[in-house]
Amino acid sequence: MATTRRSAQRVRRRRVPVAPYLFVAPFVLVFAGFSAYPIFFALQLSFTNWHGAGALEIIGFANYRYLLTSPDFWQSMATSGVLWLLVVPAQVLVALTIAVALRKAKFRGVFSAALIAPFVTPLVAMAQVWIILFDKDFGAVNQGLSSIGLPAIGWLTTSAGAKVTVALLVLWRTTGYAVILLMAGLSTIPSDVYEAATIDGAGAWHQFWSITVPLVTRTLSFVVVIGTLTVFQLFAEPYVVTGGGPFNATRTAGLYLYKHITNSDLGLGAANSMLLVVMVLALSLASIRLLRSREDS
Amino acid sequence: MTTSLSLSRRTLFRGAGAALVAGGLGACAPGGSTGNKSLPSSSVTKPPSGEITIWDRTGDLYKVFDKAIASFTAKYPQVKVHHVAVDINAKLPATLISGAGVPDGAFYDDALLTGVAPHLYDLSQLIEQYKSDIAPYKLGVVTVDGKVVAVPWDLDPGLLFYREDVVTQAGVDPAGLTTYDALLGAARTVREKFPKAQPIHLENDQFLAQLWIDMFANQQGGAMVGADGKLTIDSDPYRKALTWLDTVRSEQLGTLAKYTQPTDLQTQDNGTQVFVPWAQWFVFAPQQLLKASKGKWRATALPAWQPGGARAGVMGGSSFVIPAKAKNPELAWRLYEHLVFSKAGYTAVYGPNDVYPGGLNTSIPSYLPALDPNTPLFKPIDAFGGQDLWKVAVEAGKQVPGGYMIPTWWGKAGDYFGVNVQKLLAGQMSPDDVLKTSASQIQKNLMGPS
Repeated sequence: MATTRRSAQRVRRRRVPVAPYLFVAPFVLVFAGFSAYPIFFALQLSFTNWHGAGALEIIGFANYRYLLTSPDFWQSMATSGVLWLLVVPAQVLVALTIAVALRKAKFRGVFSAALIAPFVTPLVAMAQVWIILFDKDFGAVNQGLSSIGLPAIGWLTTSAGAKVTVALLVLWRTTGYAVILLMAGLSTIPSDVYEAATIDGAGAWHQFWSITVPLVTRTLSFVVVIGTLTVFQLFAEPYVVTGGGPFNATRTAGLYLYKHITNSDLGLGAANSMLLVVMVLALSLASIRLLRSREDS
Repeated sequence: MTTSLSLSRRTLFRGAGAALVAGGLGACAPGGSTGNKSLPSSSVTKPPSGEITIWDRTGDLYKVFDKAIASFTAKYPQVKVHHVAVDINAKLPATLISGAGVPDGAFYDDALLTGVAPHLYDLSQLIEQYKSDIAPYKLGVVTVDGKVVAVPWDLDPGLLFYREDVVTQAGVDPAGLTTYDALLGAARTVREKFPKAQPIHLENDQFLAQLWIDMFANQQGGAMVGADGKLTIDSDPYRKALTWLDTVRSEQLGTLAKYTQPTDLQTQDNGTQVFVPWAQWFVFAPQQLLKASKGKWRATALPAWQPGGARAGVMGGSSFVIPAKAKNPELAWRLYEHLVFSKAGYTAVYGPNDVYPGGLNTSIPSYLPALDPNTPLFKPIDAFGGQDLWKVAVEAGKQVPGGYMIPTWWGKAGDYFGVNVQKLLAGQMSPDDVLKTSASQIQKNLMGPS
């Protein structure tokens, strides 16, 4: 009898209410249908040679082997890496400087709107402006350089110049967004911390380095991760401004992935996207760890 | 009282797992093979009625076809055509693969046709009756693995465009530009007269550069692959063209620019870029984009690669495809048959419209009966000083060598051959390096071991 009661209690303890699951069901279904399933399918596709028609031909790790030994794949990763170096540190530095400068400014709302404007400006229109501005022979940028006695730069016609041009466009578009994030992060720092530091005789630079930076590190980590994701998924900017050229010098990881899709090499594209996920995840985690170690210290 | 509305965790997760596995199994069954279903002639004998969705490229051609489609619906009032402007190159391949929202017919670049061929109807039976009237070059382009997979639309013969005023001032006789060596000589003469001139256009876009050099190769009877499908890029036609371009570059006789980008337009307008060997569709620029030089451009046949050689080649072109998953392929065929093979249709396509008041003059039909030099489909062009371009283009179109094949990987080759040509024009590679490196890259990455 006691045994029966105990087993009944165990059963009752194991049973769970359905209502919470019903409430989360819409999200779970949408997530399963539009996120989990595509990821699962992409993973499956990455082990096949499929061009969009016919049955899937399982080829094991051949796509991964091809990509990992392909100079094109590594060139696209290197291009994204160079763009990351050009964009992310500069973005963090510029965004943090602007955010600190605006912390006590009047009309912060106006500045915020101005900063977010590039982010919401249609990219294709801006890309066209960029092409005109950075044209080697007739662009305003080179006209400006020649007016101060500097030589013209092949902004769109040399490998290095094209990378810098694309990086500048990305910076122009995304820095405002980073500033908004950092302004939100800065607003959480209590003012009495600064007051105490002032009383202790700390100067502005010392306060910035010893108070602001450590206390905004979590937001900085977020900005770095978002920046990393942006750069490694970068597609539209190089697609419109340089077409991935010259000499494939601006063919980013995102653009290289797109090539597989438009070439109907869907298995290869899926494998490429899986490798990209792993690499971006590793880079993001490394960035976070680096910043957190500074926060901890 | 939760027991009546509760499940065990194990049951719940088992259900979720089953759903995921079912989803996974579903993923194992993507769209079935099309294998080029044939669209038989018997299926299009009924009087046409119903609805079709037709995709056309955004911009000028959409407007042109919109007007021409009206001539079809006037003839067949029971047919309703949903005409949609689409970024076709970006959207069509993905749509054909997914099978969702597939149009009944679409405009598509010939250069990319082979890449989507498995997803298209085999139109061989329907095209049979018109075969002898289609330009041989074009018939070769729309034939993939022995099947006609598109309705051949236009022919884009290459022509030599030149600034008549600058050439005249430099004392160059355009009639003497019969060979590429003569063109080189003319460029030197122009630069002697105008030291800032860099007279010959050098294309710096990797895709267009590849298309451009294929025109030079086609002129000499060459192509990237031979009739047996073997790679023939490392061959005399390509070597000759690249060597000539390298000479233009090394003597600084060329303007390196991307077609219609700022440098290109500015140098054409200011008279430093004088000679543009390009497809007929270059006429778009003097009509729509150039300002100072409008009316000063003229066109003549391309120079030959050797005295007495062919003075025509093709650069680009488009056709109409009918996807294998189209809901109403018969109606799409009826529309394209009207637009391409009927006098009323091609006259409507090439006739006056809002975009081209004198008629569509960026290409000519590939349907030979439409190519009567004495029955122009478009008027002389003001931007060309009133020149009758129809006669020049038709003459060139009829000379285009046939037997040209576009390999399935043509579009992908731009990453290798197109990029290497860019390097040649930047002085980073020699013609031999370009051909050997490109051949090796294409063989390795696009064709597999031979």
